[in-house]
Amino acid sequence: MNIDLTDEAQEYGRTAERAIEAAGGDALVQRAEADPARRGDAAAVLGELGAWDLDPLGSDDELEAAAALCRAAGRWAVPYPVAERLSRPGDLHVDGLVVVAGPAPEAPLAGLDLRWATIDLDGRCGMATPRPLSVPARKAAFVTGLDLEPLDEGGSPAAVALGLVLGCWTLLGMLDRAMELTRAYVVERHQFGQPLSRFQGVQFQLTDAEVERAGVEELAGYALWSIEGQRPDAVEDALALRLAAVEAAEVVFRTCHQLHGAIGFCDETALSWLSRYSQPLRRLPLGAAATRDELSRRLGRRPLAGLFDGTGAGW
Amino acid sequence: MSPATDTDLEAFRAEVRNWCRANVPAGWRGAQTGVSDDEFVSFQKAWFQQLRRAGYAVPHWPAEWGGGLSSAQQMVLYQELAAHDAPRLVLAFVSIHHAASTLLAAGTDEQRRRHLPAILDGEIWCQGFSEPEAGSDLAALRTTARRHGDTFVVNGQKVWASGALHADWCLLLARTDPDAPKRRGISYFLLDMRTPGIDVRPIRQATGESHFCEMFLTDVEIPAADLVGPENAGWQVAQETLSAERGMTMLELAERLGHAGFGWLLDACARPRPDGGRPLDDPVVQDRLVELEIEVTALRRMCRHLVERHDTGGAGPVDASIVKLHYSEVLQRLTDFGAEVVGLPGQTVLRKPVSSGWESGAWVLDFISSWEWTIPGGSSEIQRTIIGERGLGLPREPAVGP
Ligand SMILES: Cc1cc2nc3c(=O)[nH]c(=O)nc-3n(C[C@H](O)[C@H](O)[C@H](O)COP(=O)(O)OP(=O)(O)OC[C@H]3O[C@@H](n4cnc5c(N)ncnc54)[C@H](O)[C@@H]3O)c2cc1C
Repeated sequence: MNIDLTDEAQEYGRTAERAIEAAGGDALVQRAEADPARRGDAAAVLGELGAWDLDPLGSDDELEAAAALCRAAGRWAVPYPVAERLSRPGDLHVDGLVVVAGPAPEAPLAGLDLRWATIDLDGRCGMATPRPLSVPARKAAFVTGLDLEPLDEGGSPAAVALGLVLGCWTLLGMLDRAMELTRAYVVERHQFGQPLSRFQGVQFQLTDAEVERAGVEELAGYALWSIEGQRPDAVEDALALRLAAVEAAEVVFRTCHQLHGAIGFCDETALSWLSRYSQPLRRLPLGAAATRDELSRRLGRRPLAGLFDGTGAGW
Repeated sequence: MSPATDTDLEAFRAEVRNWCRANVPAGWRGAQTGVSDDEFVSFQKAWFQQLRRAGYAVPHWPAEWGGGLSSAQQMVLYQELAAHDAPRLVLAFVSIHHAASTLLAAGTDEQRRRHLPAILDGEIWCQGFSEPEAGSDLAALRTTARRHGDTFVVNGQKVWASGALHADWCLLLARTDPDAPKRRGISYFLLDMRTPGIDVRPIRQATGESHFCEMFLTDVEIPAADLVGPENAGWQVAQETLSAERGMTMLELAERLGHAGFGWLLDACARPRPDGGRPLDDPVVQDRLVELEIEVTALRRMCRHLVERHDTGGAGPVDASIVKLHYSEVLQRLTDFGAEVVGLPGQTVLRKPVSSGWESGAWVLDFISSWEWTIPGGSSEIQRTIIGERGLGLPREPAVGP
């Protein structure tokens, strides 16, 4: 088995990253917050790359391309529900699908003129109408309550897994970028006559955070592979990835803020935006504790198959 | 200091309790959530005057200036204020702590007479220490003050000055001798914020507030009479007053955490969820609560000892660092756990009352703002370095430059 993205998917991701950068990069989210009507700016750019024609459950190549795209969008905190749109089921007449949980579902879908379906962790589907934002985008990061209308059709476990996993790829892109920004910052910022990166206390914090980020990268590849292989554990693998990603995000953002000092809390730094817009991904559909709870409820005393279940040929 | 027998203390506690019942404004939390800056300022000023009339605004000052409560009494006062959920003195924080301790430790009589009563009347202070290039390495500051006869002319830029927008005066560090070694060429000034040449700009933060400001200083004139301590001894003055102030501020914060913050956490854990269960019934939650309770109790003891040792001149060189490090990390763990316990509904609490403590019961916001604590006033890394070098006698980090 191979849990790395194909070269084509990686190349597609890099192309998307450059296209988003050319369209404004970090400025996209800043503009959208100031003028929510501009939330869709990034959609046009990604549309030109064929993003909205991808059918991730249709072929492995398209699934990997979708993952790479989400990661690229995460790097720039693109203020658009890229993963949700890419999770669109083929059989419903909608523009996107969002995984929901709990009695008062919410998602960062405010202010877009699109049709949304929802799926819960047990595969029950619905149609969702996002309510208008009652607070400024700055406070809500476009998260709004959803009015649901249940559908008779049930969704497949693969659809649940896809929705969860693509969101984690977006979060992974945010962690990549937060680490890069912080690495660059501590190399550049001088205090006591030397770069911060000279201090071992700084180095060790950054390396610990990198270990967390790298772990998510591995699991993200694995959970994607689990969907490709239509493995029975795909949803559990997706939840395991989600738990790891949310926990890693705590460590990574905590460290990145600390190492940025006071400036990391200010709008001048890209870190502040990434950190704010990572919040919906970290909280929805389930936060760390609820994800852990759901995962343990599903697994009971059965372990995850993981990479080493005896069929992992090639390892 | 008044001798504090247990009976005296209990009598004092009863007095404070009665006062709190009669004076803590009912429903202030709701009323102060989401208010404008102006409303916040006038609420804070009014509350300050109320405390002042009772003799509770500046308990840590010497009696001759309007304070004079013993450490034991201060602890009781802060316990009761916290237990009655009284508003905190947020706006006057720098004035009653940093400014006052500077004036008391290093100011002239004239400076004390001018400012200490004015602070009681509502004069607001901010702290202009940090600069873009001088954060942890404060001694690298570049703002200059050049002497022309009886005035200093100041040029430079300050950042992160909390509350500078509302400040009447500023504690300013500036370089008066560019040729001296870094720590020997800095002077400490009292700067009147109405002086021409000061441009204050708010900085917007991740939490959406503008709590700190940039300050641009162009040919700002400061009379030599507003110099604190000897010229070029500003670094030493700052070091002294920073540690003097730490014990008192920490004592208040620790009592808040123990009496208000931890109590709210217990409340949150005892609240039934939609499914009828309570977090408190979960043994994991119970374990975490016990751990936090132990940590908070230890913190309160440490703060008390710090203040007592400071009173008797016995405080060690790293005691204040240990307390700050411990407080900021306990605060983070406690608010983090609060955010976890309240779960998803907690995410929808988007505002917290501005006059409350660092832990207000809006757990998610509290957790986010607790992150700020490990940076100012010597970051956790700097505190660890101090403890390692001065407390444990470990070798210094290799340094470059003068
Ligand atoms: C909420 C808040 C309020 C503030 N209020 C005020 C105020 O009112 N007035 C004022 O003057 N300033 C204020 N400050 C500024 C504060 O004092 C500085 O932020 C602080 O000194 C750190 O400087 P910096 O932000 O430039 O970070 P830097 O010094 O650039 O540090 C960045 C990171 O590197 C680490 N680091 C630096 N040196 C070392 C080392 N030698 N070894 C290991 N790690 C190291 C730091 O710990 C930090 O994690 C405030 C800051 C905050 C966050």
